[in-house]
Amino acid sequence: MRRSTRAVVPVAALGILLAGCTGESTAGSGNTGPGGKGTLTLGMSADIQGWDPSNQPGYQGWAGEAVWDTLVQCDEFGKPQPDIADKWSISKDSRSFTAHIRSDQTFSDGSPVDSAAVAATFKYVASHGGAQGDYKGIKVETPDAQNVTITWPDPQPLIVLRVCAPKITTKALLDSGKVNDTPVGSGPYTLDKAGATRGSVYTFTRNDKNWNAANYPYKKLVLKVIESETAAVSALKTGQIDGTLISAQNYNEVKASGQKIVSLKGVTTRLLLTDYQGKKVPALGSVDVRRAINMVFDKQAMVKNLYQGHGEPSSQIFRPGSSAYIDGMADPYPYDVEAAKALMKKAGHQDGFTIELPTMAGQNFERLMPYVKQQLGLLNIKVKQVALSGANAIGDLLSGKYPVVLWQLGNLGESLADINTVVLSTGYWNLSHEKDATVDRLWKRILTGDESQRKTAQQEINKYIVDQAWFAPMVNPEGFYAHNPKVTVDHVSDFEALTPKLRDFK
Amino acid sequence: MAISLLKRLVRSLAVLLVVTFATFCLMFGNGPGIARAVLGMNARDADVQRKVVTLGLDQPLLVQYGKWLGSLFHGDLGASFFTGQSVTDALSTRVPVTLALVLITLALTVVLSVLFGVTAAVKGGWVDRVLQFLSVLGTAVPAFIIAIALVFTLAVAWRALPATGYVSPDISLSGWVKSLTLPVLALLVGSVAGAAAQFRTAVLDTLGRDFVRTLRARGISERHIIFRHVLRNSAGPGLTVLSLTTFGLLGGAVFIEQVFALPGMGQLANQAAQTNDVPMVMGTVLVTTVIVLIVNFLGDLTATLLNPKARTR
Repeated sequence: MRRSTRAVVPVAALGILLAGCTGESTAGSGNTGPGGKGTLTLGMSADIQGWDPSNQPGYQGWAGEAVWDTLVQCDEFGKPQPDIADKWSISKDSRSFTAHIRSDQTFSDGSPVDSAAVAATFKYVASHGGAQGDYKGIKVETPDAQNVTITWPDPQPLIVLRVCAPKITTKALLDSGKVNDTPVGSGPYTLDKAGATRGSVYTFTRNDKNWNAANYPYKKLVLKVIESETAAVSALKTGQIDGTLISAQNYNEVKASGQKIVSLKGVTTRLLLTDYQGKKVPALGSVDVRRAINMVFDKQAMVKNLYQGHGEPSSQIFRPGSSAYIDGMADPYPYDVEAAKALMKKAGHQDGFTIELPTMAGQNFERLMPYVKQQLGLLNIKVKQVALSGANAIGDLLSGKYPVVLWQLGNLGESLADINTVVLSTGYWNLSHEKDATVDRLWKRILTGDESQRKTAQQEINKYIVDQAWFAPMVNPEGFYAHNPKVTVDHVSDFEALTPKLRDFK
Repeated sequence: MAISLLKRLVRSLAVLLVVTFATFCLMFGNGPGIARAVLGMNARDADVQRKVVTLGLDQPLLVQYGKWLGSLFHGDLGASFFTGQSVTDALSTRVPVTLALVLITLALTVVLSVLFGVTAAVKGGWVDRVLQFLSVLGTAVPAFIIAIALVFTLAVAWRALPATGYVSPDISLSGWVKSLTLPVLALLVGSVAGAAAQFRTAVLDTLGRDFVRTLRARGISERHIIFRHVLRNSAGPGLTVLSLTTFGLLGGAVFIEQVFALPGMGQLANQAAQTNDVPMVMGTVLVTTVIVLIVNFLGDLTATLLNPKARTR
């Protein structure tokens, strides 16, 4: 008897395990797609960063977009669109944003969406999270429950981006200090806590009371954390998810499996030559040297060979269609190695020099770096790769220690944000933080000018930095979002163009 | 025997302290980097500095470790720097996933490796050669390659099993079995291959000993000799192999959880290590170390019970 029992246990265990093999197909069992059960299931390559409204990423930020509204939404060019505010105005000096909050909206805890919640949220983000510097010194006036004015001490050319970022929640939640427990929002979906497992899956139910619920066709939203791209592609192909980000390496496989792929053009591969006064690398103080560097990269060949045709050559750092982008501008630095060598000779640097290029995981360096090293070598510029890793990698990268950086940096729909980040001396991607009189003059014009003057000033900045070769833009590579053919993604309204927004899934 | 076990317990606690302190030392000194990672690239230096202080990362090493240890004694492992989630909460959902994966694989490894090991040793000839070849093959192919092959065949091509994800047994028992089948199979191949080879050697060694010849001379059946005497005498090396297999499975789970998007401890440890989420790293290291120590302790205990000579050591 004992012997037979011993024999049965492992056999039974094996049997139970293998029994799974004979079960029904999983394709469509949990999610038959939007046409069937009204469920949209998206894969996320990283877990959410908790529920603190001051700490929500834009990249794959579907959980935040689901549960929270914002004062206004930003479209793909950073222009304001209605959200909880149905009307708004911006003061002439770009310091104040006045909004009227639509009535009859409630948070998931039942409290009303009003000016007090907006005020509490803006005060909260002024003292919490990574963007608190953007809200330093703000004053929020709430003359009544439906009207609010937010005023900055200084003019804010990026005032629209400032007001569309904070996720509006209740004062009670913020005062409680338990912001990470359960999100309280008035967004198009509410979190179903029973259907959520941190690090794995988050389930949301549509909030039919949301003013914009009609634009979110799916009754249920499921976000699954799938870190491995290989796993995400398998999940997409087997119907476990309806959409995921993919890389160029998986493009053909996913396409061949009948999925649809949306192209995302949100980055420009570039060398940042921010030491344009030559303080760290004296040769970079010469504009001829910087122009020569621009001329040794065969951008067409890069698109074809390094990006498998998924990209476009680029000579400007700004996104086509944005205010700063100059349509029809010919590449001032076409591929011409001999001309580049002549410029180096003219600058007295024909013998070249050495630069350190930092590398970090996730920047496609394994493909780019050999080519970049080879081409700079044609000008006798030696490249020493410095691998940055660990907690201090980002700090080291932004410290200015490395005046030349090869990076796939975002080109944003609102080009003012790019200027603010990579061109102004205060920008964190202007690694050398060197002031420039021309840029400062044009930025002042942006601060005080009207819409037309701002656009002109942005294009003048673009012309100036192209002429001065502050960067060596190479390629605008495509990113890819793959989705089930039953889901429609006709338009990507993310002003970073890195992922479709939740509102883009139809 | 009680004193011997007590000594092992004290040694285990010392190991726990050494491992956790060493981990803390490795994570120490990254305050500004961690604070910037928490706040984002656009955070201003002053805000980063304030965050360093808020997170307590400006404190000396021993103070930080002492605080962590003090909280540990109160059952508080802190909260993630990045998500605010309590480490205890995170571990309470992650550990069962990894343990299920490891323990099911281990149980099947015991059954199959004993079966194959004994068969190869007893039958010999072509059966032995085939099993040895399969053993070498199974050991040589990494688990993640097997995992990918299984996904492509059983999940993508045949749609027999889910490609990714985990279903809790509370929600669906059959769903739980399905969600673990491919990950377990991926881990099982290597662990059975390795353990079966060791069992074969141990059984062969025992079969060649004098007492087996004596038992055969007394006319006792071969089955009785194998199951009553040979297996028991081969158990010592077998237990060592299973201990090592358990540690290997814990390590393998890190990769397998990635391939199958299982929300286990390996995935958590991987994420935490990449982001330098100190409380989460410490929590996963603590739990992993405890598991390893428990396995070692149980291995020693079982060996002691099986082998009287070990009781006096």
